[in-house]
Amino acid sequence: MSFNAIQIILVAIVAFIVAIDQFNLLESLYQPIVTGAVVGAILGDLHTGLVVGGTYQLMTIGNMPVGGAQPPNAVIGGIMATVFAVASGLDTTAAVGLAVPFALVGQYMVTLLFTAMSPMMSWADKCAEKGDTKGIVTLNYCAMAILGAAFAIVCVAGLIGGEALGTSFANAAATPVVAKIMAGLSAAGGMMRFVGFAVLLRIMLSNDLWGIYFAGFALATVIGYIPELGGSALILIAFVGIAVALYDFQTRCAIKANAGSAAGGDEDGI
Amino acid sequence: MASNITNATSYNNLTPAQPLDKATLNKMVWRSLNLQGSFNYERMQAAGWLYGILPGLEKIHADNEEDLKISMAHNLEFFNTHPFLVTFVMGIVLSLEQQKADINTIRAVRVAAMGPLGGIGDAIFWFTLVPIAAGICSNMAINGSFAGPILFLIIFNAVQFAVRFWLMGWSYKLGTQAIELLTANAKEFTRAASMLGVFIVGALTSNYGGTTVALEIANGDAPINIQSILDGVLPKLIPLGLTLMLYFLMKKKGWTPIKCIVLLLVIGIVGAFIGLF
Repeated sequence: MSFNAIQIILVAIVAFIVAIDQFNLLESLYQPIVTGAVVGAILGDLHTGLVVGGTYQLMTIGNMPVGGAQPPNAVIGGIMATVFAVASGLDTTAAVGLAVPFALVGQYMVTLLFTAMSPMMSWADKCAEKGDTKGIVTLNYCAMAILGAAFAIVCVAGLIGGEALGTSFANAAATPVVAKIMAGLSAAGGMMRFVGFAVLLRIMLSNDLWGIYFAGFALATVIGYIPELGGSALILIAFVGIAVALYDFQTRCAIKANAGSAAGGDEDGI
Repeated sequence: MASNITNATSYNNLTPAQPLDKATLNKMVWRSLNLQGSFNYERMQAAGWLYGILPGLEKIHADNEEDLKISMAHNLEFFNTHPFLVTFVMGIVLSLEQQKADINTIRAVRVAAMGPLGGIGDAIFWFTLVPIAAGICSNMAINGSFAGPILFLIIFNAVQFAVRFWLMGWSYKLGTQAIELLTANAKEFTRAASMLGVFIVGALTSNYGGTTVALEIANGDAPINIQSILDGVLPKLIPLGLTLMLYFLMKKKGWTPIKCIVLLLVIGIVGAFIGLF
């Protein structure tokens, strides 16, 4: 398969934009139904692009990045499936199959970037200390550009290297050391949010609120065991939390009102 | 120096700022698109959140540089909500910032508002809007119609932007109205909001905490699964234990978040090699 330089550059630009779009911008340009058509048009076969994009889209419905879980990356999957379908005349299922190693690389890169951006938060803290608003803006745009560039590189490599590169990606990912390191990184990534929680607790948690913390944990754990409530868990939890907080608020306001008017003998003021 | 900024409990200038004009609110709606620009596992959307509300904070704290620093610092704490519904949190937090509410109050309201939106947003956008819109439009595309992807983009983004703009205006107004009621009982309100915030963080510890161990002890045909034993003691024991451990390391031992992250990276990678994960 061979593509000319302009096509490769255009696909790289598309990959750059939709990689950022998967978490930012319109959060819809990255959907395979869109990237299939665009990449198909660039490679000179809009019809195949539409068919592959539409079919891949139907495959991904119900496989959304919900609740922070990452499916093998649909952004690279959509682009590379279209590339393989156009180049080799494969049907969608076969083309998607060839795209899987690249989607896996995309997923690894997202995990790596989300891990690597954690220590970058201390740069953000320094910006806050200095009141450097431009620094915060720069930090965000840099992170977005890194994500875009990484995805563009993988897609260009895929355009040039083709199926053979996909096979070697799959082989490399299957080596025990790489697999272990990636498993370790994603385990560490899953734990890093606890640092964020601990920071919030350090600030918000006075000694008399420990019970409330454990109550929230207990309720969420109980609700978490009911699969049907997966989507509404946090709303239900908020209802209970609001009830507790509101009760405390009203009680304390009433106590204050009574204390203030104690001299007036208004003891039945509730 | 830094501790004055991160430990501040109230702003230096307590005079409420001018209400934010429509143009600034709209600017922040556009910025809200990049909420996840610097997404990371530690604080998730924190820096993207601060980036989003900066135009408002700069106006509100224009007359006091120290207050802007304080505001930036506390708005960089852990933040995660649904990207399409974030303007609801923005509006309410900005109304509190504008009134120069107590920092603990702003923090608690922010945490309490961000948590539940995740579930609502997933239900509206990922489980309803995308399957319906993409379902219809995919079939058009498969039949070779270029209108498929275009129609999909139009439907999805019309809903997205309507929600973003409407929520921003509505919640900013809501916050401004509520504040007058709350200033009369500011201390009690801050306490209640902190309770709700701590309650939500407790819930998130369980709800977002997916860490499990894959360790098994060989036992003939029936290997002993450590995770199921732990679940028998207390489900989500590992997320709870890790959060409390990190809390004590930071509170009692003075560890920085960075040091905690390095510790977790070591645990993760060493753990993967010895078969813990």
